[in-house]
Amino acid sequence: MDKATQDTPMIQKVIAVLWPSFLTSGVATILFFTAFDPQLIVSVSGYGEITRLGGYTIGFFLFWMLTSISCLLTCYFQRPCDPK
Amino acid sequence: MNENAQTAQETDDNGSFYAKHKKVYPRQVHGLFASLRVTGVLVLLGLYYIVPWLQWDGHQAVLFDLPDRKFYIFDLIFWPQDFFYLAVLLIIAGLSLFFFTALAGRLWCGYACPQTVWTEVFLWIERKVEGDRNKQIKLDKAPMSRFKFSRKFLKHFIWITFSAWTGFTFVGYFTPILDLGVALYDLALGPWEWFWIVFYSFATYGNAGWMREQVCIYMCPYARFQSAMFDKDTLIISYDNERGEPRGSRKKKIDPKEKGLGDCVDCTLCVQVCPTGIDIRDGLQYQCIGCAACIDVCNEVMDKMGYERNLVKYTTENAIEGKKSHLLRPRVIIYLVILLAITAALIYSMATRIPLELDIIRDRNALYRTTSEGMIENIYTLKISNMDRIEHTYNITFDSDFTIKPILRKTQVTVASGKVANLSARIQADPLDLKSISQDIHITVKSLKNESLTVTEKGVFLGPVSR
Ligand code: SF4
Ligand code: SF4
Repeated sequence: MDKATQDTPMIQKVIAVLWPSFLTSGVATILFFTAFDPQLIVSVSGYGEITRLGGYTIGFFLFWMLTSISCLLTCYFQRPCDPK
Repeated sequence: MNENAQTAQETDDNGSFYAKHKKVYPRQVHGLFASLRVTGVLVLLGLYYIVPWLQWDGHQAVLFDLPDRKFYIFDLIFWPQDFFYLAVLLIIAGLSLFFFTALAGRLWCGYACPQTVWTEVFLWIERKVEGDRNKQIKLDKAPMSRFKFSRKFLKHFIWITFSAWTGFTFVGYFTPILDLGVALYDLALGPWEWFWIVFYSFATYGNAGWMREQVCIYMCPYARFQSAMFDKDTLIISYDNERGEPRGSRKKKIDPKEKGLGDCVDCTLCVQVCPTGIDIRDGLQYQCIGCAACIDVCNEVMDKMGYERNLVKYTTENAIEGKKSHLLRPRVIIYLVILLAITAALIYSMATRIPLELDIIRDRNALYRTTSEGMIENIYTLKISNMDRIEHTYNITFDSDFTIKPILRKTQVTVASGKVANLSARIQADPLDLKSISQDIHITVKSLKNESLTVTEKGVFLGPVSR
């Protein structure tokens, strides 16, 4: 297993982090914005004006950032603890 | 796994985007399944590029209007409240995938997956610009020259133009495409529209131009779990080992039996046409997307040799083992029954769906107030959403099992199609009539044009109990 992780090319690791998080954040974005209107959220929380499309996009990237972080941590913790 | 497939595969290290990767140069095929795929590509892409331009009843026929939070599909208008239907639709789509996978293997991958469909177009463009497989390999091996540069430049130029159009069309499903077109022409697109057009174009260009089979092998979740839906009766593409082996090249005239040869002439064409670069003769492999290109090409070879067709063919594991294949088996029947039941339920609930919604929102500031006459008053906002395609005038009535006195500016309200009316309503009651601190009231909204367009919602009336 650890040999396999070490042998994985860098780019494969990058995609292993970015790609699953992309998929899940897509789902999260749909669910979240079905329930909440970004325009309303932004105006209620007093951040000024935003177009809906802008709200969806920012929301999507926020979700993507969060899910990427958890994917990244998963990859990180998957490495063998023993420093040999 | 497919190490020996590489023996026959002329490869090149260009374009290794993902893993250590050899570029695959799929050879063009002709035949029954290739025609089926081309038909599939033309129909699906035709639909994709044409549908957003269709108009219907004064609006874009198919529009998932994100800026306006409304989905239009011909006569139907969906609202965020209708998310339920979308979820059910997705479940149906997922189940159909299960069903077809159990029945016919990776039918989806070979004929309908966007990855396959767009890659097919990109391969076609590549062939038109750079020539057939051998010419492409030669060109990639050759040192950079004017000619090579011009070919490559032209190819990428066409790819990028096509991708840009694809991206534009994609965004046209989510914001009205006519406005989008005008804005693009005036170079007055909003930043987010630009962003998504570029994003989707880039994804198309990268996936269909560069990543190709690597998307299927490394990135596609379906490719990873589809084998769980396989059983011994699932259609797979397989090489007839018994008949083919021992493989070997030969003159056309000789009798293979005399030489102790099987029917495979080891021409490696099946490997050359394979978009994922595997050798079907090594057995079923997870990289195989079931595109049937190897069937087509091998049949051509068999015809030329004067042998029987179907050395490579659609078959089932049971058939290979000489057992009977069952089309209808419990797994397939279960998938089918669930699928039909959910579809029927969806159609029923859509048909009986009432395109009218009433939300009763209580005033947030006070639970109730006492008027100067000593009445208890609750304040509500009524949100009436007309989800129908035409304008309606609604009549509002109140009902409860204690005496109430509703006070509204008007008891009839006209709401345009796709709009929401906010109405403030005060309801008063004599404290002596109140039996508990919270009692139900019912508000009914009924269309004057269409009596069946009625919704009743429950609200609560709060007040002190005078005892
Ligand atoms: S195309 Fe047919 S004959 Fe040629 S190598 Fe493949 S299986 Fe053998
Ligand atoms: S093995 Fe045959 S069916 Fe499978 S991907 Fe390759 S060409 Fe297509």
